[in-house]
This record gives sequence, C-alpha cells and structure tokens, in this order.
Amino acid sequence: MSEDLPTARTGAIHDIGYRHYDGPRLGTSYIRRSLFVDTLRGSYGLGRSARSKVMPFLLLAVMVLPAAIMGIVTGYFGAPSLPIRYTEYVVILQVAVTIYLGAQCPAVMSRDLRFRIAPLYFSRPLSRQQYVQAKYAGMAVALFTLMALPITILLAGALLAELSIGDQLPDYLRAMAGAAIYAVVLAGVGLVVAAMTPRRGLGVAAVVGVLLVLSGMQLAVRGMATEFGSDTFSGYTGLLSPYTLVDGVVTGVLGAKSSVGQGPPDAVGTIVFVACTVLLVLGCYAALVARYRKALS
Amino acid sequence: MNATVAALTSRSLLGRNRTLVLLLLPLALLALCVLARVLAGLDADIERELDGSLAPDLLGSFGIATLMPLLGLIAGTGSIGPEIDEGSIVYLLAKPLNRHTIVVTKLLVAIGVVTAFGVLPIAVAGIVLTGEVGTVTLAFAAGAFGAGVAYSALFLLLAVITRNAVVIGLIYALIWESLVGAVVPGAQTLSVQQWSLAVVQRSLGDEAERVGLEAAVGFGTGLVLLAVVSVIATVYAGKRLQTLRLNDET
Amino acid sequence: MSTVELHKVSRWYGNVVAVNDVTMHLGPGVTGLLGPNGAGKSTLINMMAGFLAPSAGTVTLDGRPLYRDPEIYREVGLVPEREEMYDAVSGWRFVLANAKLHKLPDPEDAARRAIATVEMAQAQARDIRTYSKGMKQRIKMATAIVHDPQVLLLDEPFNGMDPRQRLHLMELLHRLGDEGRTILFSSHILEEVEQIAGRIEVMVSGRHAASGDFREIRRLMTQRPHQFTIRSSDDRALASAIIAEPSTSGVELVVDASGGSVVQIQATDYSAFIHALPQLTSRHGIRLLEVRPADESLESVFSYLVAR
Repeated sequence: MSEDLPTARTGAIHDIGYRHYDGPRLGTSYIRRSLFVDTLRGSYGLGRSARSKVMPFLLLAVMVLPAAIMGIVTGYFGAPSLPIRYTEYVVILQVAVTIYLGAQCPAVMSRDLRFRIAPLYFSRPLSRQQYVQAKYAGMAVALFTLMALPITILLAGALLAELSIGDQLPDYLRAMAGAAIYAVVLAGVGLVVAAMTPRRGLGVAAVVGVLLVLSGMQLAVRGMATEFGSDTFSGYTGLLSPYTLVDGVVTGVLGAKSSVGQGPPDAVGTIVFVACTVLLVLGCYAALVARYRKALS
Repeated sequence: MNATVAALTSRSLLGRNRTLVLLLLPLALLALCVLARVLAGLDADIERELDGSLAPDLLGSFGIATLMPLLGLIAGTGSIGPEIDEGSIVYLLAKPLNRHTIVVTKLLVAIGVVTAFGVLPIAVAGIVLTGEVGTVTLAFAAGAFGAGVAYSALFLLLAVITRNAVVIGLIYALIWESLVGAVVPGAQTLSVQQWSLAVVQRSLGDEAERVGLEAAVGFGTGLVLLAVVSVIATVYAGKRLQTLRLNDET
Repeated sequence: MSTVELHKVSRWYGNVVAVNDVTMHLGPGVTGLLGPNGAGKSTLINMMAGFLAPSAGTVTLDGRPLYRDPEIYREVGLVPEREEMYDAVSGWRFVLANAKLHKLPDPEDAARRAIATVEMAQAQARDIRTYSKGMKQRIKMATAIVHDPQVLLLDEPFNGMDPRQRLHLMELLHRLGDEGRTILFSSHILEEVEQIAGRIEVMVSGRHAASGDFREIRRLMTQRPHQFTIRSSDDRALASAIIAEPSTSGVELVVDASGGSVVQIQATDYSAFIHALPQLTSRHGIRLLEVRPADESLESVFSYLVAR
C-alpha cells in the first residue's frame, strides 16, 4: 500500500509497480478465432470436464453407427446400392441431430448469460456482432462435423462394398453441401432458442421442443396435404420445419431426390425455399445480436 | 401432499419462459387440428380421413408420442430440477418434512401442469377433429393422462438423480422410444408411449381396428406397467431425496 | 440446552479428504468456525445440519445422530451459504412459507417477528429477485430463526453484508447466544469472529487446528514473528527508525545491484507494528512506496500453529 503523508499539502498518485504493457498485441482477429475454436471444441466437450464429453460423443456415436452398419450390411450382402441416399441421412436421423442441438446450444449460450460472463467478453475489443459470429460459426462447424462424418462413413462403406465411385460421388457431394446448409440453419435456430433463457434445463427442452413440434407439424400437414390432393400445397409444407426446408433447397437447387417425397413444386418453389432459408439464417443472426444488447447489463 | 410445497413449486414451475414453452406445444396441436377441420370442410376425402386414421395419427403420434413426453419432461424435471441445481431445495429439506411428501407433492403439481397443458388440449383436439366428445376423444385423453403421469414421475426421478436429467430424458423419449423402438421391436415393451397407446387401444374398443391403431403391448400389461413404473419412480425419488448431496456452486 | 457433538469425524470423497478426524463439542453460546477457504468448514456445517453423512465418526445432537432425520429441524436452523432462494416470491411470502413448513401453530406471527428481527419489514412485499445481496442474507436469517431453534448454524453469514448490517447481525447472534442457544457460524475473516465468538474452532486443510478461547489463540498468533518487505523514499532512515520500535525484532537493508533497496522487517507484534509504521513514517518525513507483508495467509498462520 502506498500512503500520502498526513502533513502533505499536495496529493499524488505513486507508481507502486503496476506494470504497463505497450508491446504488440494480438488483435481482434485472434480473439474471434479463439472464441470460435473454443465454441467448437466446447460443443464436443473438449477442454471441459469428462462429464460434458459424454452427451456429444454419445450422440455422435448414434449418428455414425447407422451409417457404419449400413455400409457393412451393403458389403456383406453385395447389394447394388446403399439402402438409403446420402441426402436422406440427416432427415432420417433428425431426432439425433435435434437432441445434439438441444444438448449443446444451451451449453454454448446460456453459460455466459447465467453467470454474467458476457460483459467480460465485451470489455475486450470484441463487438457484439463478432461475438455472435464466432459462436455461430463454432456451432455450425460442430454441426457440420456431426453430419459430414456419418455421410462420409456411408461413402466409405459403399466404396468398401465395391460400388462404383462415379455413381456415389454426385449424391455424396450434394449431401455434403446439404450438410453445410443444415449446419448453418440449424445452428441459427438452436442458438436463438437457447439464448432465450439462462436456465440450461429449460433451454434444452425448448430447443428440442421447438424443433420437434415443427417437424411434427410438418409431417401432419404434409399428410393432410397429400390427402387434399394438391402437390403444390404438399411441396410447400416443407417450409414448416428447418429439416425439410433445407432438404427442399438441396432438392431444388442441387437436383437431389427429395427425402420427404415431394420437394419444392417448381422453379418458383425453389426460389421460395432458398429465400426462406436465407431469411431464416439472417433472422436468427439478427435475433442473436439483439439478444446480446441486453446481456451487457 | 403439502400445500406450501405445492404453492412454491407451482410458482417456480410456471415462470414466464417455461410457461411459454409449455404453451407452444398444445397450441401447435390445436393449430393442426383446426387446419385439418378446415381442410375437411373443403375436401370430402379429408373429411373421410378424419373419421379414419387422421385423428389417431394426430392425437397419437403428435399428441401422445411427441407432446406428452416433452410436457412430462419440462414439468417433471422443472418441478424439482432448478431447485436442486441452485441449491434452494435446502429450504424444503431443512424442515421436519417427510421427503416422500415433498416428492409426491411436486409430482402432483407436475401432473396438474401436464394435464392442463397436455391432456385437456388433446381432449379439445379430439373434439375439434371428431366433432363430438366420443370414444376417440376420451380414449386418447385417457392414454394421454396415463402417459403424463408416468413421464412426470420418471423425469422427476431423473432430475433428483442427475443434473443431465433433461438430455437423458430426451434420449429415452425420442431415441429409445421412437428410433430404437422402430428398429428393435423388443424395445417397445419398455416404452411409456406404447403402454399408453395400449390404454387408448382398449378404450377405443372396436374403433381401434378401424383406425388402424395397434400398441405393442396388451392393455393389462400397459396399464400395470404405467402404474408400477410411476409408483416405483416416486418412491425411489423420495429415497434419493433423503440422501441428496447439496453441492457448492459448480 | 442443546449440544452438538462431533466425535472423530472424517469425510472423504474418493481420494480427497475434506474433513480429517475432527472432534468438537458445541455448547450454548456463540462459537466461531474459522479457517481459510477450502478448509472444510462448509463440509462440517453440512454434516452438522444433517445433509451429509460422515465417512467415519459420529455427529450427534443431544446424543441423536443427525443424518437423515428430518425431525431435527424442529430444533436446528440453518443459514446456507448459497445465495439462491425462491426468487419469484416476495420476502414475506417466503418467510411465511418457511414458517408453515415448520408446522408452527401461528406461522404469520412467527414470520412477522422473524422479519422484524432482521429489519426487513420495509422490503418484505418485494420479490426476492429484486433484493440486494445483503437483503437476501437477512431473509435467509429470518427463515432460519422463524421457528425459534435451539441450534443455529450459519455458513459464512457475513458474506456481502455492509458494516451496519454486520453489526446488527452480530448483536442478534450475541443476543441469541446469551439466551442459551447453541450458535455456530463460519468465517475466514478473523476480525468478524473475534467480535462475537467466545470460543472459536479453527480448521485448516480439513484438520482441527485449534480450539478454545479466542483471545488465547490470538495471543499465540501474535507471538509469531511477521515479515514485511518495504520500499520507501529513504530506506536507511526507515530502517534505523523502525528498529527503535518495540514491536520489531529485526531489520535488514537489502541493496540490489542497481542501487535500489528494500527494507525487510521482522515484527513480533503484528497489530502494534502496523499501527506504528504510518505514524513513524510521517514523523520522519519518509514516503512509503511499497509495503508487502510476507507470508500472511491465514493458512500459513494456522499451519504454523499446527506445527507447534
């Protein structure tokens, strides 16, 4: 401690050894990259306790296992093709992806909110947008990995079953592109819902609830639309759920076969699907940035 | 059953965010049913379907298979999970209160919530779809109630045992009951969903065959399992509460 | 008359021993449980509150084991360390609920009295989530005394309290202790403990390091020589002046290669020294640039005690 003499008439602030650092600093891009990597690793529990690795790796296993089994079975029985198309995989296993989102998005978002760490981030040269971008990107890449891995294993299985690579490649590539779009869309939806509440348990239930309800609704409405006999109506029902929305984009734009029976009805439909996807992603991003305006308190 | 515990539980369970999520689910169901009704008005085929498998599909796969587990999860874990997480459960435990009383009271609150947000809307949905308070409505309401009780009890127990109750509950309700159950028929005997569908099937009587509903277990098995699982879960939760370890802020 | 007895109590989690062979007797009056963070105070209080079973040894209240017996809470009140309560209800409602849960014959009256005692009557209608930390502590206190318990356990009760609230709580505990209740509170701040506790129990690294009258232990502590490292505007003048003080036993002037120096002082009477230092420097016109006490953690102090 440093002291002013009681008899002194002037006051002064003494140099008591606080150290100044004037050297080169790493800058904002380093912060963003670090936050991105930390989010990505955190999505799989890496860099955290052993307990937080269980869920993500369990769900990764659930995603990968069916692909491995299908590959092996195809080879064993010498089937001429895989039991499913690459582009169908995510839609079929959407429940697992949903649960992964539910388990990890709150971990990414609510920690900072619950323990009020967010202001710490913003006291560094990091804007709200950059913070959201880093987290969004981290989650999206994590999701991409979750989907790309099994799809690639499916390809590996097909190749091991001596199916022609020329046959497999186009659809595989479509599926990978689809996985990228899925990743961006789903990450957005999941993070927005998770950022609504600081309570982790509720966040999990909310993310899963929202996605399941949307999927269920889409299924039911499609069922009714098919009964109704209108293919157009049926095609547009794909807009209701993020999974079918992206599938619609992959079908319409990349020429894949629809995983849900009926893709977007025609060129107009495709444009609508693409527009909705873009709007959804931008909307989620904007909502996240807006959310953190409050978090500064 | 302790009124004070019930009051405290309802207050914390029906917070703003949670109530929003709870409302989302039945509203989605009712929206679908209204849509179905409207379409039925426009198309005779659909009208016929309403009589056929559409109602059981909506009420069954959306209502009992999706709605009830989610509601049971939110209500069941929400009735005790946050208090354990935050440590405020100590205010209930540092009292001359039987631990089983605490668990049963919270379970009753959860069942109340699940009934209000799940069973009643399913009944209303049934009325909207079939136009009457008939066998279909009552059957699905009964099945939904059975599912609600069992899910609430199970997930409340999970919340007492582990901090990851919600994710584990989701893995059970979604992956085990639906995915695994579809591939490995044996898994369906251990599924609350199937037990409640069995109740629905029996309540529908002859209608069941007409609408194409078939549960994986018989009525007797289903009902007994629903009851037994609920009771055992509740008793065990009370036991675990007696030795609950209050943690520091980690 | 209620006594809490700990007999050879140990608690371990796997390989980590949180409490190591502690024997303690808590009788009427106020006892302070003192120790650095991580010393095992909270674990001990959890065991005394019946929420944790000892891995070895017994914890009893008037001879009855405390673990898994909800009936003990008729006589035991607990003020937990954690801040979280039922945020969505008002202070009044919460204390009233606690009173009802205690199955008191007149819960409203008890709640009113408890809230008045902790001086929260003004804010009782507001929701708990709007309370400051000190207000939450006071409501916690109210819930702990609402059923007029014979035994009161407080885990770090002074956390977050401003000086006035602290004083008020101390008076309250003093009064309750005088009424013959058994009160135990934990803290890692010596000065808090010294003002109200007659007896203290000291925990270091899970072990029972010292117990008994506070003044006696304090005396033992002050006999230990304390090291200080000081940089000033005139080290030599400081050194020669400070050794004249009765509270110092040794002084060393350390000059480094570049000509800068520090004064290292050994003081036998800690409080006398830190009172003498500023007076001395002002009298001699010396400016203090840096005063660093060496090795002053409570842990090292008590480790020293334990090693004796």
